[in-house]
Amino acid sequence: MAADSVAGTAGAAAARSPIASRQASKVLPQLFTPGPSDGLDNGCLTVLEIGRALPETVRFFSSIRCRIHIADLFSELRQGNLAGSVTGKPLERCFQDQMAIPAGTRLDICLLWDFPHYLDEKQLRAFSRALWPWLHAGTRAYVFGVHSAATILLNREYGIFDAETISIRPRSEEALPCKPHPQSFLNEWLTCLSVNKGVLLPDGKVECLMRARN
Amino acid sequence: METKAVEPPIASANPIAPPAGKNAVIGSGIKINGEISGNENILIEGRVEGRIMLSGNDVTIGKTGQVMADVSAKTIRVAGEVSGDLKAKERVVISGSGNVHGNVVAPRVVLEDGAIFKGSIDMDPGDAIAAERAAAKAVGKANGAVATGAAGGMGASSAGQASLIAGDAGSKAPDLSLKSS
Repeated sequence: MAADSVAGTAGAAAARSPIASRQASKVLPQLFTPGPSDGLDNGCLTVLEIGRALPETVRFFSSIRCRIHIADLFSELRQGNLAGSVTGKPLERCFQDQMAIPAGTRLDICLLWDFPHYLDEKQLRAFSRALWPWLHAGTRAYVFGVHSAATILLNREYGIFDAETISIRPRSEEALPCKPHPQSFLNEWLTCLSVNKGVLLPDGKVECLMRARN
Repeated sequence: METKAVEPPIASANPIAPPAGKNAVIGSGIKINGEISGNENILIEGRVEGRIMLSGNDVTIGKTGQVMADVSAKTIRVAGEVSGDLKAKERVVISGSGNVHGNVVAPRVVLEDGAIFKGSIDMDPGDAIAAERAAAKAVGKANGAVATGAAGGMGASSAGQASLIAGDAGSKAPDLSLKSS
């Protein structure tokens, strides 16, 4: 994938770009719609954010009792910490170590964004195995799928602006190698989750609501 | 978490309490290894390793501050670097120049644009917002918000999902307190 021009010309790696745009979401509200079996632990919502901690996402969750685990796997991927050949550890262990989810955690919501498309099949299956122990029957995940493998994923990071709106920022770092996986592959390789609902967006991305598999 | 907001101490009511606004400062050339406790607000521009316990006061880690310590305070503001857990009775603010690696527990957490954070955030806004939300929910029900079907848990189709978000949708904040056990 080629980096889009905004991301490609951005400055220092540590800098964070401001919100570039917002996108109405038809799937997001359902992420916050618990089913009958989706009871929260002590009324506390537990969220896994796979990207960077963004102000709007933290602000959004700040009105409820919650615990947000921030595991910026994009950054870890960039640093080679999710490559078994670099770390010398099994891939699954690499993901476990970098997510560092405390024992006993039950994740209610996983914000995976477009992360799966930066992983190959082997990595994605390992990521799924690493994530699986923390899921429960009611776990829901938000993932961007793609309409086809030719869909271009821009070098963006995402957050939650409100219950119906995604925030989009250009990433300030160079784009990572990306190979968009069509939904059928995503469903097969992301073994701990299955697509529950998908909504095609004008840019070829597919907003996916995923749920934990049996 | 059961933490609740605490009213700030009133200096005139307690002769032992420091005057309002009085701050201790650890300058940028100072290094401290150990435990800091007491009853004054503190501004840290230097380096602290160990533990900081100022439960009734404010702790500010300035832009040049480097803290390798767990911090417990009334409010905590970070503009420098922290490696350790932050626990505040009222609020934690990580400003744009702040870099925190650790876990945060506070009723309110604010991350400003540019802040870098790695760890987990535990927030519990407490009774005020819970009451506000309960009132909003009641209004939503009165306006005809209805649960539309029953979901089957895993693998349930979207058509069969229960919609528990208040129907007036006036507020776009998450409505997730409905399944409290």
